[in-house]
Amino acid sequence: MSLTAVIHEQPAVPQPRQHGKPGGFLHRANVFTGLIGGIGLAVITYAVGSKLVPWGTQDADFQQVGLNALIFATLSAWVIGFMIGIGAFAGPIRWMLGHDLTHEDAEYMAGKGQGHMKYWKYTTDHKVVGMQYLIMALVLFALGGFFAMLIRTELGVTWKEVFDPNFYNSLIGTHGIVMIIAMIIVVAGPLGNFIMPLMIGARDMAFPRLNALSFWLLFAAVPPLAANLLLGGIRDGWTVYQPLGTQAPIGMLGYQVCIITFAFSTGIAGVNLITTIVTMRARGMTWNRVPIFVIGTLAAAIMGLVWFPMFQYSQILAASDRIIDTSFFIPQGGGSVWLYENLFWLLGHPEVYVIVIPVTGALLELMTVFLRKPLFSYKMAIAGFAGVVGISAVVWVHHMYMTGFAPSAGYPFMLSTELISIPFGFLVLVMLGTIWRGKVWTRLPMMAVYAMIWCKIVGGITGVYLSDVPVDQYMHGSMFVVAHFHFMLMGAGLFGAMGAIVYWFPKMTGRMFDERIGSIGFWTAFFAFQLTFMSMFVAGLQGMPRRVLQFDNAFNISNWVSTIGAYLIGAGMLIFLYAMITSWRHGKPATSNPWGAKTLDWQTQTPVPLENFPILPVVTSDPYGYGVPDPYLKVEEELARDDNETVGAR
Amino acid sequence: MSIDSQTPIDEPEVPTNRPEPTHRMKEWLSRPYVRRILLIFVILNIVIVPIAWLVVHFMELSGGPASSIMVELEKTVFVFTIVSAPLMAITASILIYSLLGWGRVTGEEPPMQESPAIRTNGIAVVAWVSATSLLATFLVIWGLMELATITSYAYGSTPANQQPNATKAIDVNVTGQQWLWTFEYPDQGKIESDVLVVPINTPLYFNVTSKDVVHNFWIVELGVKIDANPGAITNTGVTPDKLGTFNIRCAELCGLHHAYMETKIEVVTQDQFDSWLREQGGKRTI
Amino acid sequence: MSTPTSPVLYPTTGEPVEVNARRNRLGVWLCIASDATGTVALLIAYSYLWSLNVNDGWAPPKGAWAPAWPFWAIVSGLVLGTITMWWGVKGISKGHISRLIAAALLSTLLVLAAFLGQIIQLSTFPFGPADGAYASATQWLALATALHLAVVLFLTLAIIGRTRAGRIAPDNHSHARFVAMWMTWVCVAAILGALFATVMTDSPNTNSPSFGTFQE
Repeated sequence: MSLTAVIHEQPAVPQPRQHGKPGGFLHRANVFTGLIGGIGLAVITYAVGSKLVPWGTQDADFQQVGLNALIFATLSAWVIGFMIGIGAFAGPIRWMLGHDLTHEDAEYMAGKGQGHMKYWKYTTDHKVVGMQYLIMALVLFALGGFFAMLIRTELGVTWKEVFDPNFYNSLIGTHGIVMIIAMIIVVAGPLGNFIMPLMIGARDMAFPRLNALSFWLLFAAVPPLAANLLLGGIRDGWTVYQPLGTQAPIGMLGYQVCIITFAFSTGIAGVNLITTIVTMRARGMTWNRVPIFVIGTLAAAIMGLVWFPMFQYSQILAASDRIIDTSFFIPQGGGSVWLYENLFWLLGHPEVYVIVIPVTGALLELMTVFLRKPLFSYKMAIAGFAGVVGISAVVWVHHMYMTGFAPSAGYPFMLSTELISIPFGFLVLVMLGTIWRGKVWTRLPMMAVYAMIWCKIVGGITGVYLSDVPVDQYMHGSMFVVAHFHFMLMGAGLFGAMGAIVYWFPKMTGRMFDERIGSIGFWTAFFAFQLTFMSMFVAGLQGMPRRVLQFDNAFNISNWVSTIGAYLIGAGMLIFLYAMITSWRHGKPATSNPWGAKTLDWQTQTPVPLENFPILPVVTSDPYGYGVPDPYLKVEEELARDDNETVGAR
Repeated sequence: MSIDSQTPIDEPEVPTNRPEPTHRMKEWLSRPYVRRILLIFVILNIVIVPIAWLVVHFMELSGGPASSIMVELEKTVFVFTIVSAPLMAITASILIYSLLGWGRVTGEEPPMQESPAIRTNGIAVVAWVSATSLLATFLVIWGLMELATITSYAYGSTPANQQPNATKAIDVNVTGQQWLWTFEYPDQGKIESDVLVVPINTPLYFNVTSKDVVHNFWIVELGVKIDANPGAITNTGVTPDKLGTFNIRCAELCGLHHAYMETKIEVVTQDQFDSWLREQGGKRTI
Repeated sequence: MSTPTSPVLYPTTGEPVEVNARRNRLGVWLCIASDATGTVALLIAYSYLWSLNVNDGWAPPKGAWAPAWPFWAIVSGLVLGTITMWWGVKGISKGHISRLIAAALLSTLLVLAAFLGQIIQLSTFPFGPADGAYASATQWLALATALHLAVVLFLTLAIIGRTRAGRIAPDNHSHARFVAMWMTWVCVAAILGALFATVMTDSPNTNSPSFGTFQE
């Protein structure tokens, strides 16, 4: 509820009473106290709880009665304890007592005067939160990528089982959810937080304390997920269909606690992003002068905010089925598998747009800079985002064509799924129109646009097949689907995000990204990606199901090729990461606007000062004032003159 | 107002200084970059045809198509690839040409030269929206009609089957469980089998359920797929029209040994089917 | 509202409180929207299971549907508390600070009664969580209401605290209004839950297949 702003003319505003030092007990609270709080409360909960569990009795799944409740309580206690330890509850308690933040409190919480410690604390400055999200995304990608290498090893070693089925199934499930979370946060987190407020000319986001809260909730959500591998694994894919999930070992509770927490984090972040964009744009930044990246972030935040509770409840009710034996998804008791599938996919589909839309917005934004051209048809881009947000709400059943839950639902949802390609196509039109006749400055961020559009083309055609119910009768549940979504989420999503991060790297870190080494890594990964997943399409077309660790010999060759490609992807990504780390540490210091961009974010100093702008800017035009008059207009004038002469003077 | 016979009557009164549309079109087509992009576009469209063939070829590698449903599916994949080609080709041609023909710039500093400030182009927008909408409409209509067709193939009610001596469908109860398939022939003496043996050119009607978790019943080369849900019975059908042994796989992760939940479908002649039935202890009652 | 002399400024940033209030109001609406989707998820669960009656498992054993009156008693307490809070908001907007404190206090007591009533209802349902789909869905609707009520309790107590500390004043009372808005939403959610659980009882589907077999 407070805005962390330093207005240089010190306002003569009566301050509330300063309770303690500025910042209060947040002087002592940081991630380490958070860990102590989380682990401490979890241990206490486990100790107390295990006295209450009637050990010695087993239920039908051969699990200790009450064990599910105990582990769920322990993992939840970790989350709550961590949030207590890091000082998240200070805000609500102070609010309740009326001990509002003073100016100094707010500055302290924004990290003033704390040097590098601010990254380890509940810091509200959007730039700090953006960096924290970036590191978290890198960690999650490293984790998910490592699992991917293991998965491909199993699939490449076709002559025996490298891992036992339980571990392999857990690998694919954990890989999936870790990557999904990483992709959701990779653009909206670092760039939506760090860059977007700069781009709209604001000093911070609308709710700075909620900003910190959303990051640390994400931080708290990750250990339960990672712990699942020690607790038996989540061996039911990232979708965890019920009632299969109820048979899983207790590691499944780690998944559920993670998602429930992550949903809160995402919802809060969504509230923050939307309110910031709607209410805090600089003077003069009317809606038709808003940079397109901001629009993309807004569209994704709206979808995430509205639909995430569906996913959250699917996991709450699934945990309830496990712990207290309710029958939401257990057919013997009246539950329905279709209920789970519907709740899941109601988020599951908009979620892929939550991943792809911010990347698209970011690339649309940076294209104009590297082509020195205005964005082609800004209005079509808006229409594209709006159309995708709207229609994405009514396509989810295309993930359920084969479930038999409503055979006639195939017709209307096939229609809506085809229709959504039209607004999506508007975005491609804007990209092509911007590229048209542009002189390409071939730096890595721009080249990432090419990578992204190519992958979108392939993902698009293959999506057309899958959207057709009859064709889905062959393709659903096969490796074809896996290759399709990797082309969309990783090919278009991740490679695009990498380009966006390279673009904003100078502003966020103050150094230029080493594009020589970075490009080697990028293109190695990109071409290896084509190898891996084109080969996977072949496996799918041949009839290989997904989520299998052993398969017919007919699929061996495709899998060997995919595995070799995957190792090369890993190598490429490591090279890229190496470039990122060395650039961060020893890269060439960046000027404040190395790309010559016209958006407000590049008009700040580097490093960006705490208050972002000494004086808040006033905007008089959109940020696409690049380009020179079209030379072909002269040709048209000559033609017109010729025409007029033949027609007769008027 | 001009009374010149060359001027159409609905031209605006105030003369504009834009040349006539046909002139503009001709001029635009004569620009070198437009010609080259169109050339690349044509080449890419041609290239898509063998790719479409290749895609279908991969689907047929294990012996299919073995039913009219699968034939429909393959036809659709082929057609969809071909009709999507123009849009994909124009996108790719613009991307390719942009790296070749409009002047690339390298270097550390932002480029000095700037590009033409084209903020919009009505014709391009209209053309693109029309083309994508047309494509989407085609895909939808084809898809809807095709869905109706294969639904009728599945349930044996196409006009071709509605003959006085139309073959009655054989009911098969399919039960999925962790981690095997069981087939029961209720009308053929209630025999059970773990391999699906069926006679050629006879409609099959499947009742599918599960005893535990969600599985998916996939007869690969016949293009049949439906979830096996616990607590519900789902239905589908097909008429196999090719002799041979084909694959049934589980296409929904169902636990530890999901990868091994496979069996075979054997499409045999009527006589072979009858003798198989007798061996199993049942008999043909329809 | 604000006196004509100078606008009230928010201490932390120096902005006029109206600017801050507008921003916060959008945030509250967005929170309501998100919570609404979650409530809809529960209502979808309830109605979908009701319509399917999988394996004849919808109805509770011995037809022991939850009695209707506790739902409506809890809702009444909540609605009364909400109306009281709105009355308090109106009061402070006219300058009567003590009216808001009184309203918040009364509201707290009413909501507390509703909350306790909800806990009692949860522990005295004629069925347990393992007694079928209706039992599961109804108990979760009740549990969701209980959680909502707990949050509301925190909010009404906070209004008391803040008003007494002077943070809520006649020319700066947006927070009280937001709490009243949130309470109104919680009323809607609770009413919907009560309606579903008391009206949609017997399932319309009377011939669902038996689990694991092909019999109906």
